[in-house]
Amino acid sequence: MPKINLSHFEAAFLFSLFTSVVMGITTKKTNPERLHYGAYCFGCFLLALFGIGWVMKLGHG
Amino acid sequence: MAQTTTASPLQAGNPSAQTWFLPVLAAWLIPGGGHFLLKKSGRGALILASVVLMFFFGLFMRGTMFTPEKGPDYLTSLINYGGFVCDLAAGALYILSSVFGYAQPDLPGAVHDYGTKFLVTAGLLNILAMVDTWEIATGKKD
Repeated sequence: MPKINLSHFEAAFLFSLFTSVVMGITTKKTNPERLHYGAYCFGCFLLALFGIGWVMKLGHG
Repeated sequence: MAQTTTASPLQAGNPSAQTWFLPVLAAWLIPGGGHFLLKKSGRGALILASVVLMFFFGLFMRGTMFTPEKGPDYLTSLINYGGFVCDLAAGALYILSSVFGYAQPDLPGAVHDYGTKFLVTAGLLNILAMVDTWEIATGKKD
């Protein structure tokens, strides 16, 4: 079985992508709403990823 | 006097299990399977790709599969049982991986930890897909 070593960013990016796709599909009723909500979730994930990353960097000194 | 036929509140609130059982079972066993069964192929394909890729990334990162065992404290037991339920929710992916011996022991390291979270989240996403299948099958959603 192959072994994959992803960085934290790569793992978080893929996690955000897959989760956003499923959340967009399952929570909304029309295709435009699904696309919009999926993109919104993905944006929020990335914002949190970079935001919390910077907070930790700045907090660490 | 004209008669109108309307479903009773009991019928409207509790749709027959015949309408949703098979699609929800298919959705559990094969991610997106319920959507395919209900002729929602596009959504089914996206769910299939997302859940399967997430599960395989977790497997290839050597993530741990939880087993339902009691731990030394309440929190460990909760994590073991909760993790097992989430892993099991991935359906055939989890069953086949366990049967063919791809379940990994718990290893230290960040990548293994990401893998464990990917495996658990694949199951949780499949639960969302199962709920969506139920809503489509019972007519609550198109």
